[in-house]
Amino acid sequence: MRSINVSVPLAATLGVMFAGGVGAAFADPVTITLNSWRTEDIAVWQDTILPAFEAKHPDIKVEFAPINTNEYNAAIQSQIEGGAGGDLITCRPFDVNREWIKRGYFESLEGLPGLANFDKTSRAAWSGADDKAYCLPVAAVLAGFYYNADIFKELGLKVPTTSAEFIDVLQAIKKDGRYTPLAYGAAESWQLAYNGLYSIGPAYWKGEEGRLGLIDGKKKLTDPEFVDAIAAFAAWKPFLPAGQESLNYADMTQLFTLGKAAILPDGSWDINQVTSTNLNVGVFGPPVPKAGDKRYLQEMPDMGIGINAKSTHKEAAKTFLDWVAGPEFQELYVNAAPGFFAMSSKPVTYKNKLAQDFADLKKGAELTPRLALDRLSAGTPPLDDETWRLLQVMFTKSDVTPQQVATELQAGLASWYGPQKK
Amino acid sequence: MISPAAAYRNLLLFVLPALAVYLVFAVLPLATSIVMSFFQTSGASGDTFVGFANYVRLFTHPTISARFWNALLNNMQYFAIHLIVEVPMGLLLAALLTSGKLARSEGIYRTLLFIPATLSVVIVGFVWRLIINPLWGLVGFPLLGTESTALTTISLMSVWQYFGIPMVFLYSALLAVPNELVEAANIDGAGGWTTFWKIKFPLIAPQFGLIAILTYIWTFNGFDLVFALNGSAPGPNYSTDILGTYFYRTFFGSSGQLADLDLGSAVATVIFLTVLLVTAAYFWLIQRRLKSYSV
Repeated sequence: MRSINVSVPLAATLGVMFAGGVGAAFADPVTITLNSWRTEDIAVWQDTILPAFEAKHPDIKVEFAPINTNEYNAAIQSQIEGGAGGDLITCRPFDVNREWIKRGYFESLEGLPGLANFDKTSRAAWSGADDKAYCLPVAAVLAGFYYNADIFKELGLKVPTTSAEFIDVLQAIKKDGRYTPLAYGAAESWQLAYNGLYSIGPAYWKGEEGRLGLIDGKKKLTDPEFVDAIAAFAAWKPFLPAGQESLNYADMTQLFTLGKAAILPDGSWDINQVTSTNLNVGVFGPPVPKAGDKRYLQEMPDMGIGINAKSTHKEAAKTFLDWVAGPEFQELYVNAAPGFFAMSSKPVTYKNKLAQDFADLKKGAELTPRLALDRLSAGTPPLDDETWRLLQVMFTKSDVTPQQVATELQAGLASWYGPQKK
Repeated sequence: MISPAAAYRNLLLFVLPALAVYLVFAVLPLATSIVMSFFQTSGASGDTFVGFANYVRLFTHPTISARFWNALLNNMQYFAIHLIVEVPMGLLLAALLTSGKLARSEGIYRTLLFIPATLSVVIVGFVWRLIINPLWGLVGFPLLGTESTALTTISLMSVWQYFGIPMVFLYSALLAVPNELVEAANIDGAGGWTTFWKIKFPLIAPQFGLIAILTYIWTFNGFDLVFALNGSAPGPNYSTDILGTYFYRTFFGSSGQLADLDLGSAVATVIFLTVLLVTAAYFWLIQRRLKSYSV
């Protein structure tokens, strides 16, 4: 692979040099800009990805222009509505992007050859109401459970596959008393939803069946499968460290990386962090309710890239996106930013072992995005925000039942979401 | 000789640089955000004038208005805690500093006590979060994770950071109390306690009004410490949400939430008016009268 990477640009450069000698004058390279919220990726793009692209397409220069994550939505909205913004825009998944498509921010990507590398499910997060593709899928993140393999070995524990085994493992660690069973706390509500309920829940509400059922109004959050999922999540409470109510995300990660806790429910984006202290870390997927049940895994589309409808360099932007759709980019990106996973149907190899382990969890599992981000959060109150809030209430107060959480979630959703009103 | 007209022209010339900066970076954004709050700027049809629709939505939508009132009430509590704890603390320390009991170490104490006010809120938030962390800190109880204690805890962190400000106000006011008055009181047989409450305190009283209104302005424009500790959806259950974080969440959106620039502008305008009206009323009704009592 490496030799090809080197020789192709070399040959191209030589070829261009000879051709240049013959007469075809160099056109000035077109410069296109790419807006992104991943300020932390600036080195990855500038040093690895963009040089690889520019070597193949010397006539196009791409400039990576990130915007502070927290201000990204507001900045993009005001820039594009003011007629500016980059030629390429990184797309948020689902509702935010659907609204952006509706407002006419993006050029349709239909007809782009590279789109063929992605199946319909992968494209769903970025298609419009007309079912057309507006952004190219770039990367997804997964959620699962990191575990300290040395602690497991020391206590003679096996990686759990069912909910009952999971509780047994937690029970055994608690009984031993030396380690905290779960490095988990409620101070940051987002991760109660993203790394907790949305990770173990799909096994109860059957992934897409439950999620799409909520979207088309056939299911309610008060249905037994959702209440059971919330109850299975609430069952973690006895295994959390004391004072978990004010433990934030950094505390949890630290508790785990210091070797004081056995299991960390977390997202794939934290791979570098959890292995930073050279612990022997493994990963397992969400347990199934009963042995032999189908496995589910949360795969959350995270990033797509679309073309600004007001761009003056649409052809160059399309050339770039077509390259992004190919295996060269996918492999470069996921290996430069471990924890992000390619969504293309072409196989991709991960050099980071834990990333490869995470990717292996996808085999044989039904993939499903986070429950509340598609359509169900496009009104007020957004179901996602309500889920954060109510799960936090459930974890910080002793008298709130899963049933109450479900009832309040359903009431909030039914107050504005058409298919759930009645 | 400079004619009065020329004097005014020169005056204007000197004010101009500051005025220009102020107009461009303060007045203009303020005015545009007020204008924006009357428009619907998103959507295919471009900007449309919608009158008070954004305000109606802010005050009548069940969720949006409930969160707003919650943030306003929390903000009042945030202000009240600052006022009740910070001012007496500032007064006590200023009185100690000027009592003469500290002798030569007065300067050292004055500096030490003022240092927290110069720290970045991010550092203050981080350090306090570690101190009260139930896992590795001094307090086993999850102060920040319990609805009933979270806001008070954050308020007290902020008080710890900023008590130096009322302290220096009162300290300089105490220094300005003429020595003759204190000596005269001593000759008349007044002790330290009586001198303080009967002579010094009435003379520095006007400072309290000023400190109160500044605290009001700071706390109602507050945002940074809460955001540094709890992000833009400050929990648990929005119990630490104040107007600043409410505005931020509305205006800037988040990964899963659209940025609502119009509603955000309406929120900003309401915050601005809340601060402006109370401040104006204070200056109009109280500060003008207080002036006549000062030395």
